[in-house]
Amino acid sequence: MKIRVLAAGAMAVGLALSGCGRSDPGTSAAPATGSAVATAAVTGDLTMWAMGAEGENLPELIKDFTAANPGIKVKVTAVPWDSAHDKFANAITAGTTPDIAMVGTTWMGEFADLDALDPTPGNIDKAKFFPGAQATTEVGGTSFGVPWYVETRLVYYRKDLATKAGLTEVPKDWDSFKAFVQKMKSASGVKYPISLQPGGTGSWQTVMPFAWSNGAELASGDAWTMDTPQMAEAWTYYQSFFTEGLADKAPAAGTTEADFASGKVPMFISGPWMMSAVEKTGGAGFADKYDVFVMPAKQISASFIGGSNLVVFKNTEARDAAWKLADWLTQPDVQVKWYGISTDLPSVQAAWEDPELTADTKLAQFGIQMKTAKAPPTFPTWEQVAVKFDSQVEKVAKQAADVAAALKSVQQEATSIGTGG
Amino acid sequence: MIDKRPAWVSALMYVIVSLALVAVISPFVWMVLGSLKTDGELRRVPPTWWPETATLDNYTQLFARLNFAQYFTNSLIVAVAVTIGNLLFCAMLGYALAMLNFRFKNAILTLVLGTLMIPGVVTFIPLYVLIVNLGMADTLPALIVPFLVAPFGVFLMRQFIQGLPPDLLDAGRVDGAGELTIFARIILPLLGPPMATLGILTFLGSWNNFLWPLVVAQNESTYTLPVALALYTTGQNQANYGLMLAGACVVVAPLLIVFLVFQRRFVAGIATTGIK
Repeated sequence: MKIRVLAAGAMAVGLALSGCGRSDPGTSAAPATGSAVATAAVTGDLTMWAMGAEGENLPELIKDFTAANPGIKVKVTAVPWDSAHDKFANAITAGTTPDIAMVGTTWMGEFADLDALDPTPGNIDKAKFFPGAQATTEVGGTSFGVPWYVETRLVYYRKDLATKAGLTEVPKDWDSFKAFVQKMKSASGVKYPISLQPGGTGSWQTVMPFAWSNGAELASGDAWTMDTPQMAEAWTYYQSFFTEGLADKAPAAGTTEADFASGKVPMFISGPWMMSAVEKTGGAGFADKYDVFVMPAKQISASFIGGSNLVVFKNTEARDAAWKLADWLTQPDVQVKWYGISTDLPSVQAAWEDPELTADTKLAQFGIQMKTAKAPPTFPTWEQVAVKFDSQVEKVAKQAADVAAALKSVQQEATSIGTGG
Repeated sequence: MIDKRPAWVSALMYVIVSLALVAVISPFVWMVLGSLKTDGELRRVPPTWWPETATLDNYTQLFARLNFAQYFTNSLIVAVAVTIGNLLFCAMLGYALAMLNFRFKNAILTLVLGTLMIPGVVTFIPLYVLIVNLGMADTLPALIVPFLVAPFGVFLMRQFIQGLPPDLLDAGRVDGAGELTIFARIILPLLGPPMATLGILTFLGSWNNFLWPLVVAQNESTYTLPVALALYTTGQNQANYGLMLAGACVVVAPLLIVFLVFQRRFVAGIATTGIK
């Protein structure tokens, strides 16, 4: 009995403590361009955070930078992708951020909203990047950082099986794409010719390329625009692959590579990292058996652009040096060298003209798609809205729910979450 | 003890226990076997049990890319220090709360239990800010000091010590022993079972801790093993499963050794305290 009373008291203490909310830091109105930086003979000690393999490989690349800029010392700390977001969020709260860091494109809105990022100075040419990638750095009209590397989503298909089915031309628009998938099914006798994500975390990354291709947008200005005819048409098209038995409503997790290699599911939509994954699974010679093509167009061919940006944190004591490094990392020749070290795809358009990238025909397709690829708006609330989006995709794909009702619900939920900032 | 159950019941029991054993142990076996497979084989469907071409590549990669000795030492220092701290301080506080009479005793006990109720995520950021303001960020003590005494341990010790006969203490007092002597010479030697339980649980918790060491460390020299292993196994969009499984084997090995050494005490501790 005594214990129960104690526990109840303790619970009250716990509730009272956890009830304390964080006060809203608010955002100061930032100018469209950061104040100018000194570019010649800059000195300073920099700490840089970079995730995973980037953190491991960066020191090799940065040797060139420090050789050319003897006054600048760079210390790279590798951070695991796992929980990296938490590490940044804590560091921002406690003021222990590094000078410069690589951050995921979808974190920009949140970090800029916390007033942690330094606006990009005017000496960095923003037009040299893919427009979709540049857009991920802009929050409320101000650019907070530079795109570092990019990725986008394409359609992967088994070229050998398609040829056997008499399909020699890749589909360019929605109608021919559907016909292509249907023919893959009837000719090769597979149960499901294409793997599409039936909802769940990140499924918007497969749905939105179709919506963007149809001219839909997630938001316009300060308002969400989920419930539009263009969006509805794209969702209905996406849904039809499930209702017509072309895509599995309940695929097993993590079998995409294996099913692709065995020919069980000869098509899927994903990013450039899948090239090495399917080639590893498929074994020697598999690279010749498959190919990629850009998203089928309704109005245009659009896809999702992801990757990472480089940001400079406001509390840096070596601002000039930090931006100098960011500028250097986005020079076309440095980006090509970095591709050679890390296989990260350049965010600078000019780097794609280098023979090292043009030689690979599959890679060239990614380069083409990148020009029109888009990213969701950089509202700090996007991740919350994405969860609602994904759960409605699941209802539409798995339960054949009404698209109009689903979009109405996404729009309502998104509006009540707001666009923050 | 004579077993009066009929033979078929015993046989059935063995079958059930064996099935349970297989269920428990097979993911573990898969982890070890998987760490010897190539990435291509790991992704294959249907999966293979026995590696077709066993390779130590994952391990050589792991050890070549990580400054393993450093991370292992960091992990060991932190886990051992946290464990010793918990054993000592939890026993002391537990003894005071169980056997001594002083003002606000119940209030303190309530407070201890209260902290047990608060989820770690709530105190995470304030604790981090505190550590930074103390100038301890990026040091190994930052991984140790906040965890030197845990409310669960205090509660465990108090419950156990409360069950000891008070006559023992009185006997000590009659012989002229002070509180410290009583604690050190009478109470501590009796605390074997809860000490083993608390020791192993604390060591496990500290050894596997990921988020706190990740956030506190400002550079790689203060990374612990779980943080370091996460570095190259998970990418932005995909994971290297072979490397991940090899890493898991490496992290788990010291734990297995600790458990095997203290196994009997561990089980005894659970039986005696009936907690966790």
